[in-house]
Amino acid sequence: MTQPNVLEAKNLMRSFGGGTGFFDRNKPVIHAINGVSFEIAEGETLGLVGESGSGKSTIGRAVLQLEKPDSGSVKFRGTELTTLSPPQLKPYRKHMQMIFQDPYSALNPRMKVGNFVAEPLVVHQVESGSALTDRVAELFQTVGLDPSFMSRYPHEFSGGQRQRINIARAIALNPAFIVADEPITALDVSIQAQIVNLFQDLQDQLGLAYLFIAHDLSMVRYLCSRVAVMLRGRIVELAPTEQIFADPRHPYTQSLLAAIPVPDPDRKHRPRIPFNVARNIPPRDAPMIEVSPGHYVLDQEIQ
Amino acid sequence: MKNLIKDLMRSKAGLIGAILLLLIVFVAVFAPFLDLPDPTRGDLRARLAGPTWDGLFSPGAHPLGTDEVGRDILSRMIHGSRVTLLVATTAVVLGGIVGTALGIWAGYKGGLVDRVLMRLVDIQLAIPLMLLALLVVAALGPSLRNVVLVLALTSWIRYARIIRAQVLSLREREFVQSAHAIGASTMRIMFFHILPNVLTPALVVGTLELARIIIMDSALSFLGLGVQPPTPSWGRMLADGRVYISSAWWTVTFPGLAIVLTVLSVNLFGDWLRDYFDPKTRNKK
Ligand SMILES: Nc1ncnc2c1ncn2[C@@H]1O[C@H](COP(=O)(O)OP(=O)(O)O)[C@@H](O)[C@H]1O
Ligand SMILES: [Mg+2]
Repeated sequence: MTQPNVLEAKNLMRSFGGGTGFFDRNKPVIHAINGVSFEIAEGETLGLVGESGSGKSTIGRAVLQLEKPDSGSVKFRGTELTTLSPPQLKPYRKHMQMIFQDPYSALNPRMKVGNFVAEPLVVHQVESGSALTDRVAELFQTVGLDPSFMSRYPHEFSGGQRQRINIARAIALNPAFIVADEPITALDVSIQAQIVNLFQDLQDQLGLAYLFIAHDLSMVRYLCSRVAVMLRGRIVELAPTEQIFADPRHPYTQSLLAAIPVPDPDRKHRPRIPFNVARNIPPRDAPMIEVSPGHYVLDQEIQ
Repeated sequence: MKNLIKDLMRSKAGLIGAILLLLIVFVAVFAPFLDLPDPTRGDLRARLAGPTWDGLFSPGAHPLGTDEVGRDILSRMIHGSRVTLLVATTAVVLGGIVGTALGIWAGYKGGLVDRVLMRLVDIQLAIPLMLLALLVVAALGPSLRNVVLVLALTSWIRYARIIRAQVLSLREREFVQSAHAIGASTMRIMFFHILPNVLTPALVVGTLELARIIIMDSALSFLGLGVQPPTPSWGRMLADGRVYISSAWWTVTFPGLAIVLTVLSVNLFGDWLRDYFDPKTRNKK
């Protein structure tokens, strides 16, 4: 575990609302992310878990510079990205990709899926002509799709197939790092495990690092080496996965763990741990403290 | 395409519109091959002759009568349809291209272009289009080209407004963000990801605009600001014939009917097209 970091995010902030115009002056400011720091090693998977609206997607977009953070730093292999202009960013976009939650809205309904998967290769002028077609066919095979599907339009595919198409597009340029924003949430339960396995296979083959976003802890366990738990724009606990499951310190982490459905009948009657999110806004300046090696908790009300 | 035709067969109004429209276009396109009297040459011995079915197929028959200088009304109507359809479709396409391009640009890029465009829309909405058209034609002089330009000028804003609204929601879609994430240029995103997804609404606006523009073109030529004589046009025929409306009803009735039928068929077809592409009304079926 002494791999160098592929990505370092420090003290990211992003807020919405609170306009300066006449009509939106009284809109409340939402601190979507409020001082978030983490790093991801080459080939590692960091899980990012939190309820809907806690700021997970905003982090994903800020990390990939799809939306500039208000402040904070994002470094890819040591290069600061937040200060780069769009043309300066373009070469880095080869190495970082995103997979979206909604496989329906993620595909262009008017573009053949083969062209959609080929687009990154065209944009970065990596391949053209028959080499391009061959490469796209290879990518289809890699994600478990029949290459003959290339000339079809998205509406002919199921949710799981669409997510495979998105994954093929994301890995087309052999990236080092992928943000997967709840990539299985919208899929049938029966398909979810297949897609998780695909993520794992691709990581083994290509040495990818993931920021894997999820709204509960159940799938994270199988995929992630470390987990960050988010609450209202802040990371409240970050630890190796076994630590999170064995020794959760933050009450919100404990409530998330209690919410995981358990197949074991003996443990069915685990008490639910109530946690009132609305009354537990993490304080803006509370520091993270290291309770054991690699296990950080927001210094709030540790139990 | 198969679905399209199937759905059209089920819609009575849409089907009637489509058939009428096809018929009108067919006649207009093949007018030179129909054995019609010269629409510009009058026969003073036969001026203001009433419609008659006698000797329908003999040369010199005037099934829909003649006008005040003895020109054949049917022939003038058919040749007039060529001009009207040519002017209207060119204006619709021109306005559509400009309006769609500006709507995409304003919706996707926002900023100054968007603000200027929206102010222009406000201004144009406040000025009656007919007045605007009159002013411009009067200033530039009436000619086929100027009429097309003026009609396109009154039209592009309708496309721009609707396309812009579509783009505002499209650009939040994940595939657009995904294109951004792979490093696609703004031009590329607008051309490959936005444009193909607004072609359908543009087409729907186009058919509805076609009907409006046919009326406006007729109004312009009625006022003498359209294509110039001796080229026949529906509006001109109405203007020339209105003096004789009590004694020779056919001089205004038939060109009037032509305008009404054409606009009606375009509207029937356009309404069906809009419903077909509107997912909200479509799913109800
Ligand atoms: N473009 C935006 N404009 C205004 N508010 C936004 C925008 N994007 C996100 N937010 C707000 O930021 C908060 C975090 O959103 P998000 O990052 O999407 O959460 P998550 O992905 O965890 O569900 C939410 O309260 C959301 O309403
Ligand atoms: Mg989200």
